[in-house]
Amino acid sequence: MRFEAKLALSNALTKLLLVLLGALVIPPVVQRVAVEHTDQRLREKKREVLALVRRDGLAAFVREERSETYADYNLLKQEYLSITPLAAGTPPGAVRFFEEPRQVDQEVEDFRILSCVVPAEAGAGRPFRLEIGSSLGTVELLTATLRRLALWVLVAASLLTVVADAGFAHYLLRPLRTLSTRKLRGISHPSEFWFERIPTHTTDFRRLDDGLNALMRQLQSAFEKEREFMSNVSHELLTPVSILQSRFENMLQDPSLPEVQAAQIVESQRTLHRLRNTVRTLLLIANIENEQYLRDAAVPLAPTLADVLEELDDRRQQRDITVAVALHPDYVLPLANASLLHTLLRNLLSNAIKYNREGGHIAVTGRPTPAGGYQLRVQDTGPGIAPANLPLLFDRFRRFHATGPAAPEGYGLGLPIAQTIAAFHGARLWAESEPGQGSTFVLEFGAAAGPGKRST
Amino acid sequence: MHVLLVEDDKALHQEMRQFLLQAQYLVDSAHTYAEASEKLFVNSYDFVLLDLGLPGGDGLDLLREARQNDQQEASFIVLTARGALDDRIKGLDLGADDYLPKPVSLLELTSRMQAITRRKFGLKRPEITFADGFAMDPTARTIRHQGHDVPLTKKEFDLLHYLVLHRGRVLTRLQLGEHLWGNVLEDDSDSNYIDVHIKNVRKKLAHFSPTEFIETVRGIGYRAASFNI
Repeated sequence: MRFEAKLALSNALTKLLLVLLGALVIPPVVQRVAVEHTDQRLREKKREVLALVRRDGLAAFVREERSETYADYNLLKQEYLSITPLAAGTPPGAVRFFEEPRQVDQEVEDFRILSCVVPAEAGAGRPFRLEIGSSLGTVELLTATLRRLALWVLVAASLLTVVADAGFAHYLLRPLRTLSTRKLRGISHPSEFWFERIPTHTTDFRRLDDGLNALMRQLQSAFEKEREFMSNVSHELLTPVSILQSRFENMLQDPSLPEVQAAQIVESQRTLHRLRNTVRTLLLIANIENEQYLRDAAVPLAPTLADVLEELDDRRQQRDITVAVALHPDYVLPLANASLLHTLLRNLLSNAIKYNREGGHIAVTGRPTPAGGYQLRVQDTGPGIAPANLPLLFDRFRRFHATGPAAPEGYGLGLPIAQTIAAFHGARLWAESEPGQGSTFVLEFGAAAGPGKRST
Repeated sequence: MHVLLVEDDKALHQEMRQFLLQAQYLVDSAHTYAEASEKLFVNSYDFVLLDLGLPGGDGLDLLREARQNDQQEASFIVLTARGALDDRIKGLDLGADDYLPKPVSLLELTSRMQAITRRKFGLKRPEITFADGFAMDPTARTIRHQGHDVPLTKKEFDLLHYLVLHRGRVLTRLQLGEHLWGNVLEDDSDSNYIDVHIKNVRKKLAHFSPTEFIETVRGIGYRAASFNI
């Protein structure tokens, strides 16, 4: 998941949490505020009523001789006021607030009520109980409106900030995106590095970009040095070989050359040829290991195999060897070097011909592995390889005699190259053999590791 | 044929020069970038054999320079020991006519030069007749004897063609093998395959006409009898 998406997601989640918290907390708070507000109003009313009683006397509300309650409602029955005279000597009590249903005319309604006992004093000969009520319906209506309003504001604010944050993050992370798309993704070779500075004011990105550039420069320069070194070594080693080779060719053309010397020159030529191949093998392996080859083409196995087999057709027929290829199905290496892969298969098959018996058979089979990779098996019907020799097969330049006196030499060059190329493509190469049963070379392209995997 | 040989290594230069002179080429020499550049500007050549690592400059620049000069119609064959760059050099559009990695087999080199000449001058059906009635058509890749096809496999044809091209010369098994299978890294024991091919070619030719056209040179290799086209 991309950083930006994660950021947006976490942002949205916290906002959602905030909204939920609001939905939980706002109603009781609003309720409480509304009640406080009502109580406050009731207290003010009480003060007003007491002022009236003080000015006009209790008699203005209640007749002195009769102890009946005075009650007054406003028109919509949202508030009421009642004054109940009490017997003299009733002790005054604290102001109480409570909620109670009261009957007004024929209807029963819930009221928030302030109730207190006013002691006898000037203006009022007797103590009385004062009750002022405010209809809870009104309060409820108010709190509901408030709650709704608060929630809407919260949701709207959250949405707005989520969008704003995502937009800002998108803008802020643009350098990182550029960095990833242009500098990291799809880079398969140091020569493809892109060194331009990414436009950004963010210090962290600036540092990341500069650090990355410095590292890539270092890598590229190391790569260049390696290549230069290899090129120089090639030149230094192969030029003398060239001179000798040309000289031998010239000498052989001399018609007056005695036969003995001619044979010696041919022998020297063969030695030189071996030296040349050794140097070239070392260079090839070094160059592959130093990533001097591109791995940039999708290469299917079946056509490559067909090419190789056609190339080796004459040798195979000379030894009466049959071959059967069965790839179920064909496998395409997504990122490969076609000519190296050709060399790899050529080495395996040329060995399978060379180390086979006259009139033998070669079976090339390929199928996917349960782990999601692909396995190519090249099986011959030759004399096989002694178990003790199996681990040595891929050692560079180790020559040993295959079982049987007539077995040709030459495992020395082909297999180390094959293994280096296999590793270059993220594949494993190993041999299985039982003396007398032939040998099988197994090439396994991994699904999990290596550049051979399909990039997602 | 006028050839400019651009190679800085004196010994190698000397050997190549000798070989080309023997093969009846006119050879001009350049050992440095400056020398080669000047000669390319002044003279006109049929072939330039170009080593890439030159004192004073890169051979590829020389090639580019020469390609911009309309007067210069030489065919370029690039020779290089820069093994690591094989892929890249081939991949670049250099305008070279051919490319040979060092060490270069001189026989292979002269074959390539002949092939380029044929291509360049568009010789129509350059049929070669040899050994009493055989006619070889290198373009169509056929050999006929008095109107009858001689059925050779691809490799057999290549082998015979190479011998015919270098008629009168001894070719070693190594040289023949390298021509047949290219510059692959292989052990010389593989040259046994050459003997089998030669045997088959001889048998097939003998079926049409008893001939000793391919001669075995003891201890060295094989030679096609000399003849004039």
